[in-house]
Amino acid sequence: MGKLYEPALPKLMEAMATEARRMKGMDRRNFLKGGIAAVAGLSSVQIISKVNASSNLPPNLPEWQSHLGPGVVSKPYGEPSEFENLQRRTVPWLTVDAASSISMTPLQDLEGIITPSGVVFERYHGGIPNVNPDQHRLIIHGLVERPLVLTMDDLRRFPSVAEIRFIECPANGGMEWRGAQMEALQFTHGMLACCEWTGVKLSTLLDEVGVKPEGKWILAEGADAAGMSRSIPLHKALDDTIIAWGQNGEALRPEQGYPLRMLNPGWEGNTSVKWLRRLEIGDQPWHHREETSKYTDLMPDGRARRFTWVQEANSVITSPCPEKPCKQPGFVEIRGFAWSGRGKIKAVDISFDGGVNWERTELKGLVLPKALTQFSYKTKWTGQPWLLQSRAIDETGYVQPTLRQLRDERGGWSIYHKNSIHTWNVTESGDVFNVQIS
Amino acid sequence: MFKSLSVASVFFSLVVSGTLLAGPLGIGTTATDEVIAGWDIDVRPDGMGLPVGEGSVAAGEGLYEAKCASCHGLFGEGEGRWPVLSGGEGTLDTLHPEKTVGSYWPYASTLWDYIHRAMPYTAPQSLTDDETYSISAYILYLNDIVDDEFIANKETFARVKMPNEANFYVDNRPDAQNERCFKNCADPKLFEIVTTINGVTPTGHFKEDSGVAANHYEGNPSAASEVGTSNEISTTKIVFSDTAVLGEGVYDKACQACHSSGIAGAPKTGDKTAWVSRIEQGMDILNVHAINGYQGEDGVMPAKGGNMSLSNDDVINAVAFMVESSR
Repeated sequence: MGKLYEPALPKLMEAMATEARRMKGMDRRNFLKGGIAAVAGLSSVQIISKVNASSNLPPNLPEWQSHLGPGVVSKPYGEPSEFENLQRRTVPWLTVDAASSISMTPLQDLEGIITPSGVVFERYHGGIPNVNPDQHRLIIHGLVERPLVLTMDDLRRFPSVAEIRFIECPANGGMEWRGAQMEALQFTHGMLACCEWTGVKLSTLLDEVGVKPEGKWILAEGADAAGMSRSIPLHKALDDTIIAWGQNGEALRPEQGYPLRMLNPGWEGNTSVKWLRRLEIGDQPWHHREETSKYTDLMPDGRARRFTWVQEANSVITSPCPEKPCKQPGFVEIRGFAWSGRGKIKAVDISFDGGVNWERTELKGLVLPKALTQFSYKTKWTGQPWLLQSRAIDETGYVQPTLRQLRDERGGWSIYHKNSIHTWNVTESGDVFNVQIS
Repeated sequence: MFKSLSVASVFFSLVVSGTLLAGPLGIGTTATDEVIAGWDIDVRPDGMGLPVGEGSVAAGEGLYEAKCASCHGLFGEGEGRWPVLSGGEGTLDTLHPEKTVGSYWPYASTLWDYIHRAMPYTAPQSLTDDETYSISAYILYLNDIVDDEFIANKETFARVKMPNEANFYVDNRPDAQNERCFKNCADPKLFEIVTTINGVTPTGHFKEDSGVAANHYEGNPSAASEVGTSNEISTTKIVFSDTAVLGEGVYDKACQACHSSGIAGAPKTGDKTAWVSRIEQGMDILNVHAINGYQGEDGVMPAKGGNMSLSNDDVINAVAFMVESSR
């Protein structure tokens, strides 16, 4: 019945309510049912007139202002307006099966540096396990003085931290190595998200178990069907690794490792093992599948880099972009994100002519280490074509490279760590296309 | 340092009551060897973690064909776009590198570890240690790394050397060097501007759709190339029997990996043409084939789809779901 009180028929509803008041109590329900069914038949013409957008515009009274809306707790867990279309999306031909696949964050629709938990990109190697937190355990063992089993309650007793950090799949942009391919920002750069993560520093847990002097590496293992496992060097664990249970102010989402995940800030997302069940301390790395067969970087000479953990400085313009074209000439704020796995973003420059000349942008809002950072440039678009680019510089002085510079080092057939300057072609019509300049 | 002897002795009496000294915060429970042993499944290149047991190339052949070949191909060549396991030698420095176990993987231990923890895809951690040794041995044999007499066990396996081991080196980035130049940084006359190819990106959410599927159930790599062929996928709404309703969950977990994409000759769910002759055989025969496995003209159906943790009823329910989705 709830829905029946929402149609754009305030006057009819009012008339029916008045009519119903005159009836005896026992008949009222039947009247409302029959009355509304009859109304549904005769009112279609009126509904069409009511959804005519102009009738909600000034000087008219908007439909939604002319009656009460739903009350508190009508949605105990809220969701975006029905008029929004905020969604993770995937490119299904990339992978054979959805349980071992990836989806992308809708960067084109984000309004700040925090990615809402429900649209954080997904990467699974064996689907999402449905973990009961009461039956979940973290075991820490190996080269330690005191091997421990920790419950979720145990973990929450440790001193906690909360940090805003990005997480990025090293394959972000990977479809663009060989040429421009994806005609949407969501697919060129969307294996990226930035959240506030709450948990305990791994170094705190390591103090608790007491790492033996010969302990130099940590195997992190997930409780998913893939038993995801990665070798993490002790120096990272002692630096800034978080064992997180919170994301954006609530428990982790199942997609993000509920109830417990590792987070290695600034490092390739795959090292941030989700559904974390075990940490083993050892004296050497394990060389497991995801750090040998995958997530290594084959170079043109046939040799391969391994332990390519850091996500180097990168940036992209999010407005305009293919999903958000220039709709009309005049003032425009060019906006985008920059991020670096080595620390803070120091500056972002933009070019309108494909990288011949560059201008400085302003950084907006919070500028945090290893976090998405917003940049802004105010200008006018008068229908002239642009080859729009952005270029991030991080606090180490590293300058985001051109595609040619990256290909000169790594060839054109790499998969991971493509952080080169990206180009949007804004055409005379205002439509925006993905192009590559080499 | 303790402030006084009495405090120290209280502390001492507290900690000796447990089997282990507590950590600085005293949180958590001691992980006993027994508890650890159940989860400590990892294997390292030096052989650490390899269990007692053994397996032969000969035993591995049958296991591989029953449990692995439907995705990875009879000779490790890969079905559809599932991973290729063999071949690829000499391709790593070419424009079409093929990274297989033999051509790329630096350590044999990775093979044992990964098969044991994550394979078969639909039934992880279902293989015994001996089965894992056998299948690992067979995949090494497919790659000409061991001969057909090879018996894999804790000692022999740790000694296997992979041909590509020496070709890995530790990350030496940053590599590409850019400068923060502002004026005349590139010559526009030399620009080569490359645009995208139409029909590659799902763009239906912001412009006239390019016809590219936006999720795995609508399409997959092979299906994308088959657009316009006679294999019609049903889009009408189906009313399922109770059996089929029970089977949907099983299907999602265990069957769709092959039957949504049609790899290894698996009839695609919803593909009426592919199913009609199969359905004509009757449900009993279909169920027997699905439970016991079946080698057909088009491909191989592993027993219970390779997931032996499924009950016969699970399989029967899933078959009903697929049949009812496909007629």
